[in-house]
Amino acid sequence: MDDIVFYTVEIIQSIIDGVLFGSTYALIGIGFTLIFGAMHKLNMTYAAASLAGAYIGLAFFTLFDAPVMLVFLAAIVGSAGIGLIVYYICFRYIPVEDHLAALMASVGALFFIDEIVIHATNASPLTFPALFDDVMFELGPFGIRGDLLFVFAVSLISMAALWYVLYRTRLGLATRAVSQQGIAAQLCGIDIHRTNGTTFVVAGMLGGVAGSMIGASVGILSPLLTLPITIKGLIVTVIGGLGSIPGAIVAGFLVGALENVFLFVRGVNERDMYIMLLLFVFLVFRPHGIFSRRAERD
Amino acid sequence: MLTVGDVFTSYGMIKALNGVTLSASEGEITCLLGPNGAGKTTLMFTIAGILRAQAGSIKFDGQSIERLSAAKVVEAGIALVPENRLVFPTMSVEENLEAGAFIRVAKDRAGVDDDIERMYMRFPVLKERREQMAGTLSGGEQQMLALARALMSRPRILLMDEPSVGLAPLIVEDIFQIIRDVNADGMTILLVEQNANMALSVADKFYLLEHGRVTFEGAPGELEQDEVIRRAYLGTE
Repeated sequence: MDDIVFYTVEIIQSIIDGVLFGSTYALIGIGFTLIFGAMHKLNMTYAAASLAGAYIGLAFFTLFDAPVMLVFLAAIVGSAGIGLIVYYICFRYIPVEDHLAALMASVGALFFIDEIVIHATNASPLTFPALFDDVMFELGPFGIRGDLLFVFAVSLISMAALWYVLYRTRLGLATRAVSQQGIAAQLCGIDIHRTNGTTFVVAGMLGGVAGSMIGASVGILSPLLTLPITIKGLIVTVIGGLGSIPGAIVAGFLVGALENVFLFVRGVNERDMYIMLLLFVFLVFRPHGIFSRRAERD
Repeated sequence: MLTVGDVFTSYGMIKALNGVTLSASEGEITCLLGPNGAGKTTLMFTIAGILRAQAGSIKFDGQSIERLSAAKVVEAGIALVPENRLVFPTMSVEENLEAGAFIRVAKDRAGVDDDIERMYMRFPVLKERREQMAGTLSGGEQQMLALARALMSRPRILLMDEPSVGLAPLIVEDIFQIIRDVNADGMTILLVEQNANMALSVADKFYLLEHGRVTFEGAPGELEQDEVIRRAYLGTE
């Protein structure tokens, strides 16, 4: 009996931690999905750029002893800047219909950024500052980590800010117009290249939030994070449905929660295996994401 | 007002326009007739800056516009209502209208709001549906929305590409009445149509486009009209 109670409490605790941390996956998923919505192309560099942004923030911390909030801010600006550079190098001048070329260019940029980070840090993990990491809220048998709660709150605020930009500003109107009907958007006088560039900057800002929040909750930054975050971001994007922001949010929480449950039940060695399996389950049964109808089979 | 001079446009290897020359005069409705594949939509997209001409000139009020981007063409005062309407499907009717006024919404918010009200007066059905997603409108309503959206940029010439396509005959009558009304308010219109009878009923002047070049021009009511209508529908061998 005691075993069952202990087990249930631990599972729920895992889900709570997972959902809180999953908000960063949701941000990465939103970034992938925003760019896909605008250009119908995958920007494989995105997660690497987000973490690189966090490294830029960290540089301010170690070199100038900057306050933590400034570290996060530098990460946001850095990641947005990298986003714009990636747009110009991998997307802007590559023919619109050539999807493979843009995909390969962005994979190249992913490895390039990763190499820069490895070179600059000698591939060793670096400590990343957090806020409220000494706070713990007790909720009956459950504990809620202050740093994770902060990460969660910052992620939600970022999502709300994105919602405001998309639905309440001229820029958001342009972004949605370009993603829904590119030709009509141009006929309305919307500059499609400028709008796409801005979308990369906005996505990059979200990535900077995600990257620094990942650093803050893990406590370290390491080049070893790049690949898992890229893959989990893509999984979140697929589960949420390519182009769907609400889908990416829900999928981010879902992947975060399941990942932690698998961690508790099967251990760290097997955890990611099940998350990958989840990708195939969705690709087979719900290829257009969590909010779509079941796939028709022939 | 709008002059197209010897324009050539290709889609990859396919030559869609082989030296098109025509002009649209201020205050008139100019019709462009022709069978499928004649290059009518290509010409509209070339004028609008979506496609680029390989050769030739396009002048609007004496200003060369053939090198301008689509966005700059809109700013110059040209608006295109594209074939198949191309409304923004998951934006509300009102947001579609705002998007149509994109070039001036930052500078002239009050004017844009006034224009939206004016569009609602002209198209009462859009007012009823203002909060509805544009993708859920009927074909005729979408055509009215696409037209209203184009007018929101306050153009001096309106290009319309096949406004009757896919619509029931009664709705087509409505759309053409609206075209007459808009023209009566002083709008210059360049109209592309498959439905030659309808088009000739509103046109001041018409051109027949075949195989990427103008093969006939004239005014409705002239002797050759029946032959033109036959060729507009069937093409020539």
